Amino acid sequence: MKRFMTLLKIEQRLSLRCPDGLIFGIGMPVGVLLMIGLIAEQQTISQENYTFLQSAFASLITVGICATAFMGIPLTIANYRDKKILKHFFVTPMSPKLILCVQFCIGAIISILSALLVSICAIVIFHYQMEGSILYFILAYCLILVSMYSLGMIIASLCPNLKVANVVCTFVYFPMLFLSGATIPFEIFPQFIQNLAKVLPLTQGISLLKDISLGIYHQDMIYSIIYLLVMAIIGCIISLKTFQWE
Amino acid sequence: MDKCIEVKDLTKIFEARKVVDQLSFDVNVGEVYGILGHNGAGKTTTIESILGLNQPDCGYALIFGKNARNERKILFERIGVQLQVSYYQDNIKVIEVCEEIAALYQNPADYHQLLHQFQLDTFKNQYVDQLSGGEKQKLSLVIALIPQPEIIFLDELTTGLDVVARREVWNILKNLKEKGMTIVLTTHYMEEAQYLCDRILLLKQGKKVIEGTVNDIMQSGPYQNLEEAYLTLMEEKQ
Repeated sequence: MKRFMTLLKIEQRLSLRCPDGLIFGIGMPVGVLLMIGLIAEQQTISQENYTFLQSAFASLITVGICATAFMGIPLTIANYRDKKILKHFFVTPMSPKLILCVQFCIGAIISILSALLVSICAIVIFHYQMEGSILYFILAYCLILVSMYSLGMIIASLCPNLKVANVVCTFVYFPMLFLSGATIPFEIFPQFIQNLAKVLPLTQGISLLKDISLGIYHQDMIYSIIYLLVMAIIGCIISLKTFQWE
Repeated sequence: MDKCIEVKDLTKIFEARKVVDQLSFDVNVGEVYGILGHNGAGKTTTIESILGLNQPDCGYALIFGKNARNERKILFERIGVQLQVSYYQDNIKVIEVCEEIAALYQNPADYHQLLHQFQLDTFKNQYVDQLSGGEKQKLSLVIALIPQPEIIFLDELTTGLDVVARREVWNILKNLKEKGMTIVLTTHYMEEAQYLCDRILLLKQGKKVIEGTVNDIMQSGPYQNLEEAYLTLMEEKQ
């Protein structure tokens, strides 16, 4: 445990010395929330009976997860592989599990900070109130976090270098970010894009969060939960089994 | 004597080129074993194969009877490594590198003391990027010593060090040797090999040219010194 805490402390410090994670993970969702709030705070989405803000809140709270899952974790580890830092770690008792866990926690801390900040802004500035259960909302948030991180860790384990990781992350991150409703409200997309985007795990996660936050509970939710759970388990196993040191 | 490293018929091929070719040798406990050869002779590849960093195409290499690839976690508690080129995380400080590495071992050395011994304590809070080449080399030796290893691998440790620093490092290694540590090193300096090594292996294009003590090698021909022996033996092989 001491080993883990020391690594977490130092690696966390290193991640803060390079602030792009904070900008994408915290600055961006808060910025988008403020914009949506100012433009369309109380406007109701046509054919639905909730506001843009209610819709945006559930989505924006996941942007921190996305930024760390598809940029923070894989890019840090691919960079370590590229720079032969993992090669150095290979000749020590360090394990892939330890490396991945430390980066997982660093990402989770930033994600949670981001979620807290988005919540505070929504509540204080725009008087947001959650209609559904906060506990379920938090549980669903954690599930999305683990599931997205396990995808990020697969990329981290498999990409041979930073360049490849960058390309893969761009192809995963931006479609998820734009199509899942994390930044652009899902409701304004044409139906066929909505259908396409439903395959993305983040879309499932956000729809889960949105329903919970609105107090809507239905049977389909169980499919989203199973989908995310399976994704999380498979991702963790693949990333640990396929971890490349060099 | 007990052997702690066993290399048998080790062959490593990179892109159809045999970088290490049917190489066999043993290293005994408490011995300083030097691997010499021109650039590209296969010194680093040999060390990296022993350490499990690459998988041999043929043959095997064991440390304490174990394959480093299969039993990394147990073996590397007992082994210190300085790789030919050291890389560190961006924006990391000297003290942070040491703290992080020390945290990985069950029974690490006091790195403050090591930093002091290598006159690096004034750089503790400096970023590793800002260190000079020589200081970085010394830091890599500190890191290799943090596990309190039984065997230490040093790949061209003194390359890039000035004369004074090189002598300092030699004395430190001599000390470690007296304390019973096994040292496997590669070097381009004959003087270094002569001063430190109990036995030497001359490598050429991945193959063994000759192996033995400095005296054995000198007596294998009418040589004035090790450098002459090295140059002649390497030439003959051509």
